[in-house]
Amino acid sequence: MKLTRKQQSALLDCMLEMGDLLLDSGAEVSRVEDTLTRMGKAYGARRMDVFVITSIIIMTMEFAEGEGMTESRRIQTAGETDFYRLEKLNALSRRCSVTPLPLPDLRKELDRVAAGQKPFSMRFWGSVLVGGSFALFFGGTVWDGLAAAAFAAVICLLQQWLGRTQINTAAFNLLISLAVGLCVGVVTGLIPALHMDKILIGDIMLLIPGLAMTNAVRNMLVGNTISGAVRLAETLIWAAALAGGFMVAMLIVQAVH
Amino acid sequence: MKEIVTQLITAFLGSLGFALLFGLRRRYLFVSSLGGVIAWGVYLIMLAWTDVGFLSCLAAAAVAVVYAELLAHGLKTPATLFVIPAILPLVPGSSLYYAMSSAVRGDLLSTRDYGAQTLAYALAIAAGISLVTAVRQLRAKKP
Repeated sequence: MKLTRKQQSALLDCMLEMGDLLLDSGAEVSRVEDTLTRMGKAYGARRMDVFVITSIIIMTMEFAEGEGMTESRRIQTAGETDFYRLEKLNALSRRCSVTPLPLPDLRKELDRVAAGQKPFSMRFWGSVLVGGSFALFFGGTVWDGLAAAAFAAVICLLQQWLGRTQINTAAFNLLISLAVGLCVGVVTGLIPALHMDKILIGDIMLLIPGLAMTNAVRNMLVGNTISGAVRLAETLIWAAALAGGFMVAMLIVQAVH
Repeated sequence: MKEIVTQLITAFLGSLGFALLFGLRRRYLFVSSLGGVIAWGVYLIMLAWTDVGFLSCLAAAAVAVVYAELLAHGLKTPATLFVIPAILPLVPGSSLYYAMSSAVRGDLLSTRDYGAQTLAYALAIAAGISLVTAVRQLRAKKP
């Protein structure tokens, strides 16, 4: 396939969009590099140089001798894991690696993936189930589980509401953990049969960046050192914000009792 | 015994919750959540056998990833879909919580212990996953 300069630019644009969507759905950095490289080659690039970290994608495609083109994209959002999109993108890239789609079609497919999102009800019931199950898992009573499930519902709604604002992740974690810590503190103060620690542990599972942290360390272990280090620093700050919020809430609850 | 059964059942439900939360397709939900049970089962067996938390967690994560990779290979989907729900029961939520609550009480010794445990488990999970990646890379040739 021989592309004009304009088409090449459009292709790069599409591929950056693909990378952006992949990162936003929680794909691994190495996976994004791999996917883009393979796709670029399928579209006729002789050489692909892709560098991805969680905040930027830089990509150079070389179509023929001296016909290179470089574009980059700044990634703003640290997206939450979205298997629904991830699977769609995976299928799309697989398809393109076998027989490259014409550019307008590729663009259309990408727009379709970008528009589609997992339904809110799945998020909601997922959160409730996670909060309740992990409170029991870590040794809570059935009542603790039910309470944790109820608070998980509150967390989900708060996340939904705060997610629409421009707030950054650290401040977000601080606010949400403070709010949840206070709510749980008040309720367990009123109902002594409930265990504050088990309820909070169940709900913490929804909030801790355990996954992001694991991925960061894992990136460093498999050779994506820069990306891993940046991510690790971020997640440590998020975790500290989370801990800070809970600790302030606990101190307030303690002082009131 | 009752405790173990409760843990395994809630590990399943917890993984299921995360799979839902992350928008996994309905027909993968069961096998994906089963990964959480397998991971926790391996962790408990290894813990009973070796009594070393770090090692048990590492082994559990590694087994979970092998399970996920096999599934992904069979179903032609990205392995992440099965890795993430499976390893989540291993995430040290409780030690993180106890590290915080002992810090609030001013008990620095416990804070340090729980904090170190939290980090060790996070590292163990990452190492377990990377171990499998490394083995897989050994089998793939340079392009």
